[in-house]
Amino acid sequence: MKPIKIAILSLTHGHTRKYYQTLKDNPKLEWVAVCAENAKVKKVFEAGKHGVPCYDSEEKMFVAHPEIEAVVIASGNSEHLRQVEMCCQRGIHILSMKIPTFDMKEYDRMIELVDKAKIVCQIELEMHYNPVVHRIKEQVAGGAIGKIKSMQATNITLSPVWAFPWQGVPELSYGARVPLKDGDSRFRGGALCDHPHIFDMIRWLTGSDFAHIFAEVAPNIRADLEVEDMLLVSGKMKDGTSFLLDPSWSRMEERLEVPGPGWEVFPKRMEVNMVLNGEKGSMVADCFGPNVYHNGGPNDRYTVQYTYFDEWVGLIDEFVDCVRNNKQPKINLKWHRRTIEAMNACYESVQAGQPVKF
Amino acid sequence: MSVLMKAADPNAALQMLLKKYGVAAGTKAKIALCGESGALVPGDSFAAKDLPAGAAALLPWRVERRFVELKNLVDNKTVEKVSTLRFASMRAGANLAELLYREFDLCEWIGGSRIVSLFASFNAPHAANVIVKLASGVAASVEVGATLPAGSAPVDRHEIIAARGVASDRVVDTQMPQHSVYVMNAKGENRFTDTDAELYGLSEEEILAVRAAYKVLANEKIKSEWQEQHVNLRRLVQAALKSDAECVRVSI
Repeated sequence: MKPIKIAILSLTHGHTRKYYQTLKDNPKLEWVAVCAENAKVKKVFEAGKHGVPCYDSEEKMFVAHPEIEAVVIASGNSEHLRQVEMCCQRGIHILSMKIPTFDMKEYDRMIELVDKAKIVCQIELEMHYNPVVHRIKEQVAGGAIGKIKSMQATNITLSPVWAFPWQGVPELSYGARVPLKDGDSRFRGGALCDHPHIFDMIRWLTGSDFAHIFAEVAPNIRADLEVEDMLLVSGKMKDGTSFLLDPSWSRMEERLEVPGPGWEVFPKRMEVNMVLNGEKGSMVADCFGPNVYHNGGPNDRYTVQYTYFDEWVGLIDEFVDCVRNNKQPKINLKWHRRTIEAMNACYESVQAGQPVKF
Repeated sequence: MSVLMKAADPNAALQMLLKKYGVAAGTKAKIALCGESGALVPGDSFAAKDLPAGAAALLPWRVERRFVELKNLVDNKTVEKVSTLRFASMRAGANLAELLYREFDLCEWIGGSRIVSLFASFNAPHAANVIVKLASGVAASVEVGATLPAGSAPVDRHEIIAARGVASDRVVDTQMPQHSVYVMNAKGENRFTDTDAELYGLSEEEILAVRAAYKVLANEKIKSEWQEQHVNLRRLVQAALKSDAECVRVSI
């Protein structure tokens, strides 16, 4: 199979660096270029000595590399529609970050553009390539706990805003400056926008759709953020499954500008845990554990040293297969639309103080 | 609805990896967990007996993520000035030599130094305790046991104590290995720990053998190093037996 010539746009998304090794290792890809959103980002990338040319603008990169067949759109959410348009015009396949946009008109415009251009647009929901999630799916499908009656899940992390500032700016993260609710000085665009996985996973595991959803914000644990960092979500699926989700930034961090060792204050910087109660039993799962643990440098704090972060290997394998064999990715724009609607419903619920019915 | 392929058997999985990552060598290579002439075999299975003709020894724990990360913590000086290693391994029905073989290798590999002396106390075939000294001055305790009832999951612990920091593959305040998934139903409790999406479907032992085989097939130098280490580890196991039999500290 001829390797796909691939590039990365912007380099400002928190997941960007996760791609570097996979793009180098996978012989089905030829990583030809990147373009950095600004000089600071470019400097950080070039310090990594990846041996890949880094451009100041997308236009310059595309002119210099007409051979580019696919890109990873690794930018803030507010850039996505523009970049999707640019790719569609050129017939370039897209691996999109987990939030294409929260603006449903923009979202539908993306679907239209992608369909018209006949390109692959895969959404990066990497949990689908996590081996623990695969085990959970297999156990559920095999009837180990019977029909799911409830699901409780966390997708909790530290806040990445100090390294990726757009994630704390409502216009760049949510796409608009919308107050959370009357009398609240905060705006949409915080922790919720960072954590779509558990909203997606409940759809996969139950095979059902949201019936209603209720969300409550808590006081921020980072007083200087203008977006929410703590919230809780509950509701019901159409098949009766009750759910409780925590998509917060509840793990405190050191305010590093470049992520690295010592970023976490709480020992485990990122967690996706699930509890499933079924009519025949229960399952508890930690998608990122067990690991190894230390209290060494740089901060001498008890810290989880993760032992696997390989989701990007499977994700890229599927992307390559879709591009080369004209397949539709499992997590495509149309599938993912409902997940984004559910996340928007959380904000609407916070604003109204009541559940939102679908 | 699965987006992951399920690996069928270790040798098919090995060929899949070799093809996927373009490794030309080893298209005829074969893993044999129980040993076979000319095959790639787990070295610890041959701690107390000779390798089959033409077979090459694998050190599969060296590709196990928790040990890779523990070694990284030492090599990257996240924990600094290592003083002591406290390693333990219990496995149902195991041969003590096999257990010591792995733990001795982990001492040298993670500790970054050769074992230069040891003192062993066996109560064969059930258990053994060994204190070893590395050339770097680091001391290590190695406790192994074969008394778990048949069907029990292995229990082990690896702790690195340094002037700056302690590292371990066991979370604080726990004694037993944790798992990723616990399923509880009328049939009892099932536990799963999955760490390798590419090789999903194989057992942990098979996954490690495949990863180790891939590593030596992709890098001839590692293959040579592991063969030399196999000889060294067998010598260390023999030294432990001698130490116990003669009740003396043995210099290597």
